[in-house]
Amino acid sequence: MKSNLIQHLFTTRKLSKQDIENLFDLAKKIENNPNDYSEFCKGRILGNLFFEPSTRTRLSFESAMLRLGGKILGFTSSRDSSATKGESIADTIRMVNHYADIAVVRHYMEGVGEVAKQFATIPIISGGTGTQEHPTQALLDLYTLEKEFGNIDGLNIGFLGDLKYGRTIPSLLYSLIKYDKVKINLISPKTLRIRSNVENRLSDAKSDFIVTENLHEVLETLDALYVTRIQKERFLDPIDYERLKNSYKITPETLQDVKDHFVILHPLPRVDEIHYDVDKLKYSRYFEQAKNGVWVRMALILKLLGVE
Amino acid sequence: MVNEFSSSEEKILTVAKIENGTVIDRIPPGKSLRVLEVLGIDSNYPYVVAIAMRVPSVKMKVKDVVKIKGKALTKKEIQTLTFIAPHSTVNIIKNFKVINKTELLIPKKVEEIINCINPNCVTNAHEPIVSSFDILSEEPLVLRCVYCDRLLKGVSLQNQL
Repeated sequence: MKSNLIQHLFTTRKLSKQDIENLFDLAKKIENNPNDYSEFCKGRILGNLFFEPSTRTRLSFESAMLRLGGKILGFTSSRDSSATKGESIADTIRMVNHYADIAVVRHYMEGVGEVAKQFATIPIISGGTGTQEHPTQALLDLYTLEKEFGNIDGLNIGFLGDLKYGRTIPSLLYSLIKYDKVKINLISPKTLRIRSNVENRLSDAKSDFIVTENLHEVLETLDALYVTRIQKERFLDPIDYERLKNSYKITPETLQDVKDHFVILHPLPRVDEIHYDVDKLKYSRYFEQAKNGVWVRMALILKLLGVE
Repeated sequence: MVNEFSSSEEKILTVAKIENGTVIDRIPPGKSLRVLEVLGIDSNYPYVVAIAMRVPSVKMKVKDVVKIKGKALTKKEIQTLTFIAPHSTVNIIKNFKVINKTELLIPKKVEEIINCINPNCVTNAHEPIVSSFDILSEEPLVLRCVYCDRLLKGVSLQNQL
């Protein structure tokens, strides 16, 4: 990310390890002294274009911009926008070019980043596109891991649940493969196995990964487990959802033999894949992740606006 | 037309030359009808069209050939043919002479002529953009959507070609 150029963030594939480290350095500075940055975006506007519902992503972007002294505008579902009248994403972007200095787009369609590249004159950040990617979630996940372990290199990480439709998964995987000797364990039922295009990219990067259906086969070896929700809204057939939703549930008993420094992450929202009793254990980091999202997004806004 | 020589049988298959038009040679055997379909040539086409299927060929063992009078291929038609009949040669004929000969080679990138199979890909929505794919592999043919990153291969791709 070069701050003197208009850049967008729709995939972590386009970020270098150096980009990520620079972003995290700034996020740490902001986290340590947030008040120092409270006027960095004075007079700037963040446009929030949420064609799909969101709690954490939207609120944390809003919190990030407000903490930087900027203002926000936008809509929170496609029903509140001219998308219901058939307006294209390209036209919506061309419009927001004049209304905001930077924008976040969440959309159920995939490939919006390439549309932004063609039509945006302001930096556009993905707030999640379809099942494709959710890069800022991945960055805050990675930031949480880095804070926890001090280094990403050499970690053994499990991904559990819906690896097919979960959009945070590809983004986090594409980030992790930039680091050295990271072992990746992809744990899911066969029908929710990671998509071939993502697996293809892992293979191309010569990453060390295994695909398994059995959590207990690898759990004791893991430094971190990234749990995802089986997403009801991604299933065409509700019977398939009912059959698979309880595939992998984490309870305190599940975690009896994990490593002492083991941590459990989740992009949230959760349904019942992590039992509430796990929240009290020393392993849980998912609310920490949500908090870290604000620092990372503040850093990202500053980098893309070139006002750091 | 074909001027192919079968040494064992010593027979020559000949079809009259055309004054102006296009000859597509070295078509993979059995693909010539699909080639004509892509070019929009059917029984209503007003000029001479010659088709030779499974003609002996030194290079390919067997091949198809089509000869179309009064037809110049558009850029889009050539792009599409590249995927249906890779390594075919397109000969442009003027005054009975070949004035241009091009081998159809699979490019590194292809735009517009193929649709993404992902219904949620933005290229399938009402947007002012065209589909775009990187070619990852020629044999077997594998494409990756520049927009949504999905892979196109096998049956889902063949259905479009």
